Amino acid sequence: MQTFTKRRNFLKTGVLSSAVVIMSGCDIFAITTSRDTIRVVQNDLFPKAKELGIDTADYITIVYRQHKISHADKEFLRNGVKWLNEAAVEMHKKQYTLLTEVKRQEVLTEVVKKEWGESWIDTMMGYIFEAMLGDPIYGGNNAQAGWKWLAFEGGRPRPTKVYL
Amino acid sequence: MYDICIIGSGAGGSPIAYELSNAGFKVVVLEKGLLYDEKTFSKDEIAVSRRDMFTPPLWEQKHIINEYKQSGKFMRYDGAESGWSFWNGSLVGGSSNLMSGYFHRMKPKDFELLSSYGEIKGANVVDWCITYDELEPYYDKVEKVIGVSGNVVKHKYQEPRSTQNFPYPMLDTNGVTSWFDKACGALKFSAIPTPRAILSENALGRNACYYSNFCGSYGCSSGAKGSARAALLQKCKAKIVTDAFVYRLDAKEGKVIKAHYYTKHGISHTVNAKIFVLAAQAIETSRLLLNSKSKEYPNGLANSSGQVGKNLIFSAGGSGSGRFIFENLTKEQQKILMQPGLFFNRSLQDWYDYEDGCHIYKGGTIDFLFEHQNIISRANREKYDENGKLLWGDKLAEKIEKTLTTSRVLTFEVFNDWLPTDNCSVGVDEVAKDKYGIPVGVINLNSHPQDIEVGEHLAQKAVQVLEKMGAVEIEYSISGNPPPNLVAGGCRFGDNPKTSVLDRNCKAHDLENLYVTDASFMPTGGSVPYTWTIYANSFRVADVIKKNLRTSIAL
Repeated sequence: MQTFTKRRNFLKTGVLSSAVVIMSGCDIFAITTSRDTIRVVQNDLFPKAKELGIDTADYITIVYRQHKISHADKEFLRNGVKWLNEAAVEMHKKQYTLLTEVKRQEVLTEVVKKEWGESWIDTMMGYIFEAMLGDPIYGGNNAQAGWKWLAFEGGRPRPTKVYL
Repeated sequence: MYDICIIGSGAGGSPIAYELSNAGFKVVVLEKGLLYDEKTFSKDEIAVSRRDMFTPPLWEQKHIINEYKQSGKFMRYDGAESGWSFWNGSLVGGSSNLMSGYFHRMKPKDFELLSSYGEIKGANVVDWCITYDELEPYYDKVEKVIGVSGNVVKHKYQEPRSTQNFPYPMLDTNGVTSWFDKACGALKFSAIPTPRAILSENALGRNACYYSNFCGSYGCSSGAKGSARAALLQKCKAKIVTDAFVYRLDAKEGKVIKAHYYTKHGISHTVNAKIFVLAAQAIETSRLLLNSKSKEYPNGLANSSGQVGKNLIFSAGGSGSGRFIFENLTKEQQKILMQPGLFFNRSLQDWYDYEDGCHIYKGGTIDFLFEHQNIISRANREKYDENGKLLWGDKLAEKIEKTLTTSRVLTFEVFNDWLPTDNCSVGVDEVAKDKYGIPVGVINLNSHPQDIEVGEHLAQKAVQVLEKMGAVEIEYSISGNPPPNLVAGGCRFGDNPKTSVLDRNCKAHDLENLYVTDASFMPTGGSVPYTWTIYANSFRVADVIKKNLRTSIAL
């Protein structure tokens, strides 16, 4: 039973490590992982988190494990990584994580004009805030740094386990 | 065999469980959700508010929603595809665990809406078959058993009471309430301390409120909130069966004989009882009756009148807000404004009815409260600038920090009658099924134009108060959108079996042992949240059932 659980967890967390194929037209341009792109784009979207010492990227692993988030929403998150990279390739001939900060902002400014782009950034921002301002038990909001930033006390009692 | 089988453990079912089991009868309660209590509730915003942990996923259990326009045309929405949820709280005690506990009694005129205000074109308004005076002793009982705190003040629409005041003193309030009272004084409005179903002191074997800052939408960890679980089910010996989704009632020769339920793993069970009480919340109650059709009852149970599911109502109105900003306040006022935890607890009922031109309209209630403390939601609300452009980076961080640390929002909620109409009802879908394979409920929605006119009238009064208090960014929204947590009707009670589903004791006209005690019985909803009335009526019906059972034993 324990082995089975471990394997299931591995498979679930593995979603972020699995390959995302970036296309340029009909050709394969590069292969990356969701985790690499998400880590960089989250910092581009809300650098305050890093400034407060909060790692928001790993929280996405929990998002993928939560049963109340639909399969379609999880798929959208993953597709957004692919589309963001393809937009980066189209604009600057490089995948998103390899661009300079200025060029990454140019990509974000461009994709937010598209329906999927605005929706994806909005969704990603929501998860950044969950990681920053949710209970520290979820792995973000390190030492309640997010709450302290906004002079927020949190509600009591706090949860004793992560809701999946 | 049980004496009583109750379907649903919320505010409608639990008073029956409490009264009948404490009277020595054998009672079982079937609850679709699981048990959470003071030890297991937490203020986990991600679980409770972001993931709606107390409601089922819509891809497993949904509704079909037909939204009617005044033209009679409608738009069909699949609940799973649109994300439109009408679930409230699947857990022991139901959504009463998650309520804010704003408790108002209905007024005497609410029981005779037709007689008091006349017919309204396009609305199926009727008088209730009982009066306020008949329900008053049970409103009083709720104050004592569930626990209502507050302070009775004299005002034009104060309903008659059999006691001078509430049994529990007012909860502590934030100092901003004094700004509100001053503004209302200047406007000649009567500020009312909002009664709450929350204990302000240790009583009834429960702990007092500890001002957690997270009340509405969250379970209470002290037991102060008067949920059906904390106040009733934990104080009686009724057997609670969780993970029990009742999908069918079998009836024969005028009696319900069996309830069938599924567990989440799809295993079917049955329960036999002498009396069945249905209280699954308005929409699901009608759905179950309609899904229980048989050769003997081809239109579903209790439906010889064809009225099951008809005249569904919600609470009409809407909400609004105003913001207090540090720039306009002294240091001392800023400190008062940001004090966490304490309640606002103020209401206005000056326009419970009002004259406009040559017509007297039934008005309603306005409750004022601080914006919910959910910090993730509040940060999310800052993501867009005033032109609707999505922000990110330092600009967004600065906006969030300024807004959340140097201002606070006072909100208001308007409650007025949702007039019952032909196009607002519950049915069952012929194609769509839930994860158990049972036809899902169809919700037909229609709001009467007068609902919005009255809501607008009330909202503008609330705006006057916010302006007088010095709030900025004042806005409101009154619409025909139904609040899913304020739903009633579908099984009207009445004395005529041809036009109502239930008799005056909430027993089905067609069946000798089936009662419905959630908000389904209400022909009109009054202009207040429903929970107090649901509790009171259920205690009233409990007395009837108790008397009948004792009589049958004596015979």
